[in-house]
Amino acid sequence: MKVNDYEVPEGLYYTKEHEWVKLEGGNCRIGVSDYAQKSLHEVVFVDLPKVRAKIVRSQSLGSVESVKAVADVFAPISGEVTEVNAKLADTPELVNQQPYGDGWIAVIKPSNLEAELKNLLDAKSYADFLRTQVK
Amino acid sequence: MLRRTHLYDFHARKGHMIEFAGFEMPLWYEGTVPECKAVRNSVGIFDTSHMGRALVSGDDSTAFLNYITTNDVAALEVGRAHYSVMCNENGGIIDDFIVNRLAEKQYLIIPNAGNREKDLSWLRAKATQFKVEIHHVSDEVSMFAVQGPNAQKVLQEMFSEDLSTIPRFGGRNVNLDGIKATVTRTGYTGEDGFEVFTWDSPVEQPSKAVTMWNAILDHGKASHIQPCGLGARDVLRLEAGMCLYGHDITESITPLQARLGFVARLAKSEFIGRDVLAREKADGPKRVRVGLKLLEAGIPRAECDVLRDSRILGKVTSGTFSPTIGQGIAMGYVPREYSKTGERLEIKVRGKELQAEVTGFPFYDTSKYGWQRTQR
Repeated sequence: MKVNDYEVPEGLYYTKEHEWVKLEGGNCRIGVSDYAQKSLHEVVFVDLPKVRAKIVRSQSLGSVESVKAVADVFAPISGEVTEVNAKLADTPELVNQQPYGDGWIAVIKPSNLEAELKNLLDAKSYADFLRTQVK
Repeated sequence: MLRRTHLYDFHARKGHMIEFAGFEMPLWYEGTVPECKAVRNSVGIFDTSHMGRALVSGDDSTAFLNYITTNDVAALEVGRAHYSVMCNENGGIIDDFIVNRLAEKQYLIIPNAGNREKDLSWLRAKATQFKVEIHHVSDEVSMFAVQGPNAQKVLQEMFSEDLSTIPRFGGRNVNLDGIKATVTRTGYTGEDGFEVFTWDSPVEQPSKAVTMWNAILDHGKASHIQPCGLGARDVLRLEAGMCLYGHDITESITPLQARLGFVARLAKSEFIGRDVLAREKADGPKRVRVGLKLLEAGIPRAECDVLRDSRILGKVTSGTFSPTIGQGIAMGYVPREYSKTGERLEIKVRGKELQAEVTGFPFYDTSKYGWQRTQR
């Protein structure tokens, strides 16, 4: 679905900080939403977490940066980082071009998914939230 | 209530707007990265009318300006400009700006946008013993910057006056179908280029300014001229090693600490701050401004600590990602002992201590970028 110009694909979970979560088997692939990448504009650097890093929900696990601004990426769930998108080192603009595809940021093995899923928004709820953010 | 420049309609239509120094200004049109690339490779145009413009004229105008600024105004020829700073009694920088000598007894100075009122108050307060008139003309004269290796080519098509003979920091009056303007070979990008002042163009009746802007865009089409916003302006000046007032220079910093000693002419007649600067020159400034280039991935930002072996030496005052060299770059202040080119330091970026190196200015290779490559 779309909110104004912003894509909000179904089948993903979202946070109010504009991260998305895709459940893949037992793991969670995460990234930032179309709204986030459009707000930042030209992404020139992504600070990725380290593989095997333990992360706690709502803590910053890295950042997505434009020339003039830094946006924290907050962990949508707690767990351990099992994979990071190394392509973003050479082509950070993938976050702008394919925020839900090749611009993914990390894969996390969740430690408490069942309980924490409650904190995430489904596509429709995120879209409703987005509508309150955009003018 | 935010203020607007003559070209507000254009910016609002084409640009992504933000608030800057009380003005609604474009941060970018296409994007900071493509705009920087356009300026370094061809030509870009900036609306800089948010900056101040003050005319200082009268019998004592030279003596007055020589008293309140650090550079030598008496040595400035008519039709020439120089970069200068205005210091307080402690040698701290009140503002940095270009001083243009328009005539024997008439000067145009260009305060930073955020210092319009501060500078005018200071000028008026210090002028009481001098026979001068100070006219604030910011809202009657528009100002654009046309910068890049193709800037002269674009502007030359518009004016019959020969621009090729204007030296760096030189100026000439020009005429565009009856619209009176002055162009100076000055800028804030490190590239060759001009600043264009269009006279008699009040903000409330901006038609002359708009005509000038549109003519530049029109003649610039063949060179793919790019309107550029404040984002590109900040990155380009930082790449060129130029200071931004309020960040790299403030009232707590002297021109010697800022490595602007070349505008502090201690041998000229008495000026405000001279004694302090002379003492500092004799002792050597304790801390100095340096350029820092990151040696690993990351983007340094203002307020990041600069360290050596985890010991804090100073802070970053300006930082960004440089699209021209593909690396994080910064300016900051460190104790003089650590200011040599090649010195290895660390910058703490978001909790991580990243390796960096002290470099000279500009950050880019001057055989590939900047006005030096055209050897003017």
